[in-house]
Amino acid sequence: MEEKVLAILKEHCEEALTYDGDSMMEDGVIDSFTVINVVGDLEDEFDIEIDAKYVVAENFKNKEAIIALVKRLLEE
Amino acid sequence: MDRMGNTAFRRVVVIGYGKAAGDVLRYVCDRQEEYGYELEFIEHEAAPFSVTEKICADRGVSFRQISDKKKLAAYLDGTAGKTLIVSASNNFLFPASLVQRENITVVNFHNALLPKYPGRNAPTWVIYEGEKETGITWHYVTAGVDEGNIIIQKRCAVGEDTRAYELTEELMDLAVEAFRECFGDVLAERVQARPQGFDPARRMYRSREVPSDGYFALTDPPEEIYRLLRSVDYGKNDIFPLMRTTVDGVEAEILRYRRIPPDGQRDGVDFLYLPLGDSLLKMKYRKV
Repeated sequence: MEEKVLAILKEHCEEALTYDGDSMMEDGVIDSFTVINVVGDLEDEFDIEIDAKYVVAENFKNKEAIIALVKRLLEE
Repeated sequence: MDRMGNTAFRRVVVIGYGKAAGDVLRYVCDRQEEYGYELEFIEHEAAPFSVTEKICADRGVSFRQISDKKKLAAYLDGTAGKTLIVSASNNFLFPASLVQRENITVVNFHNALLPKYPGRNAPTWVIYEGEKETGITWHYVTAGVDEGNIIIQKRCAVGEDTRAYELTEELMDLAVEAFRECFGDVLAERVQARPQGFDPARRMYRSREVPSDGYFALTDPPEEIYRLLRSVDYGKNDIFPLMRTTVDGVEAEILRYRRIPPDGQRDGVDFLYLPLGDSLLKMKYRKV
């Protein structure tokens, strides 16, 4: 699962793969439009629905947070 | 540093949300020392991933959050001194009593080529109507909605797969580019603004309006269905409700969609497939 998430991130925002901070948005690594693309691809790849309530800065603060979000949704 | 910029404006207020507001704010901030104006940012509507507050904190710019329309109007009404208000992605309608004041000039970014598509959600209607080209307009604000004289416009193509959020992003980038070009002239009050020449009976797009009333039939031309879905696609921003159709006699919501190759993988459950030119329109649905 992690490899697939990282592949999607690589496609839309390669810088996210090497980012080691905890606020990709504020640090200008990722913007709201890139998040839309990432969310769309995650939904397609894993056939999950990512509700708007999960599309918040906390869940997209770094790649680990995104992987954790997908993991939670797959377990639901 | 010696001030080289020529302006009578003593204060600049940027109001807006999202990427365009952030980028415009950065630029106005970069030019502050040159022109010597006071700078303030007002957030009227919060965006989910807003970075404007951080920009203000990092650069020492006054940040104010005023979500209530009446309070915002009252606050702006108290503006003293010659002031330029830059409205960048902002849905607050400036009162006539404010924009008519001699000491206040308001410029606004509209995400379409005015006089076409005035009002709300212009990228949606541009895509829905099948336009091949659109663009942005910076204009002076008057008492009427999106009616003021044009300062600058820039154009861009609308692709056949372009979704509303993608077009919105492109238009925001164009808006920032145009703002950089015209800001000095606006400050120096030497813009050769031109009237829009609009038809007073033109259609004004309202926020509550939804293309096709939010519904399509599976027998509709797939190109029209695809256009409808793209026109309301702002990702997880709930600007529009999910589009609806009827599947096996039951109403269903379209959760997501994608154009795929004709030999693309076909998932069996809760997916619809329609021929779309030389490809397929794949739609995931949920019965309601």
